[in-house]
Amino acid sequence: MALSPFASRSPSVTVASPSSALRLKAAATHHAPGQAVTAKSDPNPERELTEQLNDDVRRKYVKGKKLGEGTYAIVYLGHFRDDPSSCVAIKKIKVNAEYKDGLTMDAIREVKYLQELSHRNVIALHDVFSSKDQNLNLVLEFLPGGDLEMLIKDGDIHYGVGDVKAWMGMLARGVWFCHENFVLHRDIKPNNLLIAADGEVKLADFGLARSFADPYLNMTHQVITRWYRPPELLFGAKQYSGAVDVWSMGMVFAELLLRVPLLAGMSDLDQISKICEAFGTPTEENWPGVTQLANYVTDKAVPLRGREFFLQQFPTAGPVGADLLMSMCVLDPRKRATALQVLQHKWWATEPRPTKNEDLPRKSGTKKMGDDLARRGGETDDGPFKNAARQLDFGGMK
Amino acid sequence: MIEDDIYRTSSQFRLWSYTESSLKSLRTKTNHIASERVRAALRRARERHASSTPSATGTPQTGSDVEEKDIECLTPEEELVLVRYYCEKTVELGETYRPPLPTNVRVSLPTTGFTQRLEPFFLRGQPKLTSITYQATAIQYLRRFYLTNSPMTYHPKSIMACALFLATKTDNYYMSLRQFAEGIPGDTTADDVIAPEFLLMQGLRFTFDVRHPFRSLEGGVMELSAIAQGQAKPAPHLPHHTPESLKQGLLSIAPPPVPSTSITDRIGRAHGATRELLKSAAQMTDAYFLYTPSQIWLAALLLADRPLAEFYLDTKLGGPIDPTAMETEPSNLQNPLYDLRTKLLQVLTDCGALLQSYTPLSSDPDQMKILKRIAKKLYHCQNPEKVNLKRDSAVPRSTPAIDAGAVTSESETERLAKKRKLEMEQKQRGAHDMFGPELVLDRTRH
Repeated sequence: MALSPFASRSPSVTVASPSSALRLKAAATHHAPGQAVTAKSDPNPERELTEQLNDDVRRKYVKGKKLGEGTYAIVYLGHFRDDPSSCVAIKKIKVNAEYKDGLTMDAIREVKYLQELSHRNVIALHDVFSSKDQNLNLVLEFLPGGDLEMLIKDGDIHYGVGDVKAWMGMLARGVWFCHENFVLHRDIKPNNLLIAADGEVKLADFGLARSFADPYLNMTHQVITRWYRPPELLFGAKQYSGAVDVWSMGMVFAELLLRVPLLAGMSDLDQISKICEAFGTPTEENWPGVTQLANYVTDKAVPLRGREFFLQQFPTAGPVGADLLMSMCVLDPRKRATALQVLQHKWWATEPRPTKNEDLPRKSGTKKMGDDLARRGGETDDGPFKNAARQLDFGGMK
Repeated sequence: MIEDDIYRTSSQFRLWSYTESSLKSLRTKTNHIASERVRAALRRARERHASSTPSATGTPQTGSDVEEKDIECLTPEEELVLVRYYCEKTVELGETYRPPLPTNVRVSLPTTGFTQRLEPFFLRGQPKLTSITYQATAIQYLRRFYLTNSPMTYHPKSIMACALFLATKTDNYYMSLRQFAEGIPGDTTADDVIAPEFLLMQGLRFTFDVRHPFRSLEGGVMELSAIAQGQAKPAPHLPHHTPESLKQGLLSIAPPPVPSTSITDRIGRAHGATRELLKSAAQMTDAYFLYTPSQIWLAALLLADRPLAEFYLDTKLGGPIDPTAMETEPSNLQNPLYDLRTKLLQVLTDCGALLQSYTPLSSDPDQMKILKRIAKKLYHCQNPEKVNLKRDSAVPRSTPAIDAGAVTSESETERLAKKRKLEMEQKQRGAHDMFGPELVLDRTRH
């Protein structure tokens, strides 16, 4: 495998709050093998070893005030017991009485993948513990800066192409890292891109994530919020790759530039026709095999858009930026850029330079956030993975 | 080496990798704590029993002394045999759910241009791939769970189905609990399956990802096939390798353990034999705790076809002495990776020895005899306060878990105590030789 071209290898070390982040890193990732299981509390014959280990983890944190509540989880502010200045978000997953099959799939996915992904641009899961009423508590990195959707929608915030470059760079590094670990995120959109106190963008909400399927094995196409869903999934492809996330990234890129969603389809069919209008109609010529996909439909034949279209539509990105966007919006997923190719694009090295984190625009502090936790995750609720909102809401924190 | 760095961030490395000695001491510790708790629980049960039937116990002092002696707990080694047996059972249970194959395997779907060239290998391996992965995940869940839990506390037969079900969820082979429970032979209900889920997840320390050696084996086999077809991509740090020299090298290695008709045939056989080892020996031994997935599949390949495996390593690390290098550039004689190669081979040999040490319990009458003895022993040292998982898990949702066990299973405790007493009497009458073992086995298999 090639060496990491851009990725920082230090997971979740934030610059602005070194006290907490560095401590967390030390606590979360520096286990030597062989010492993996060592209960710190004195051996107490009245408690199982597993219980003792769990108690050790639980005692590391103090749960504070409630930040938000939804059907899926309650989020609390918390901190390390021995360092009250360190902030964490403790997400307590509710036992779903309607769901009889044990822990829900989205909770399982979120825990499974966040346990493995340790990267500056992926929300850090510091610990998981159970409280005595058999609830699952996820100790997550505290991200008080809102999300990219808030910034896009906030008319009082002005940002330029250097800012977009910085945000997109952080997003692309996070996605690259997921793919390098064979994980598909499958729900990339602006409100899943959370912002840390130091301005760093973090990929969050892994409730739809899964690892790459083995060749010939099927996956569901009912994933990714519609506006960010690539044509192969709309056409019902059951086998797909990281290219689906790259398409979503392209849509986020376009939305950051336009400040409105580029392709806001009213239905899946409408989404397909909006894609055709914008980029051209998928055909056997530009995408061999596309007509074999289960749900392949087209109504009008729009020729493929060339470079001029992107230059015209996204003048702020500049010719090189438009070029990058175009490579992310290629209809045929086999010809679409990979996350690595996105990172290797020359746009990052052309002027203007990406804005430094400390100079990035922030959300206006007084803005009252809605209760994100009540919001449903994605628009894929009609799929087999009916999920309640998984979003984190740090809005209760002033 | 970024791949190694990434592996070191995995939960498998952080939480589930051990040295032989640390693994042993952890198991000893778990066994010790569980034994203490079993003795205490049985003592409590007796006391309750004694107080409820004061007339039955003539001289309580001596009576309890006798029973105290009789509580013989399992040793860590015995626990391990038992867990292994139920891991084998898990495979059997998993076979029930062999997925219906996608009958119409489409080759030209978007984004999966993936290695169409080498398709025969994939198709050969494909049919069982999913079921293997989730069964293997379930087995590793059991093995991890029983590092910090004892079979004396939670009987493997009550955890086994749950581990398999959890693995279907975490490995994207999801089916409904109802559907799953219906597939289990016997009268296991959906509630029985799901009851220990939280307990299991806690034992797994909420890490669900298991890194298996299966996929890397497929990759290695694809590389070997590419070399055989003259389409190798030589390692950048070994510039004297060319697709042609690698192909010739592969064709001139020492003959395989089993004669083969062609190099393709040879690679296919080695592939199959390696997969079998990964499915069985790698799952049932401590391999996952002691070695990385790549070490495991390479060790298995060494066992399957040593010359082939060594050739494969040489394409990465250079051989001990490379004849082509000697001709062109004498300074290449000293392979800078030689030390690494030696060290790796030692690790692979150790891992291979571990894999070879495995024989399935069920096919070995001697081991089965030992197992029966252990099962019988377990029957007498099962923690009575943890028997009913369904109640254990249903109640704590409203009351703290710590007290729940003691409070809810009181009657269960008494029932077991009575039963044990009955059996004890039977034993004293000398009837246990004929009927004892059978009864015990009946119960464990239920």
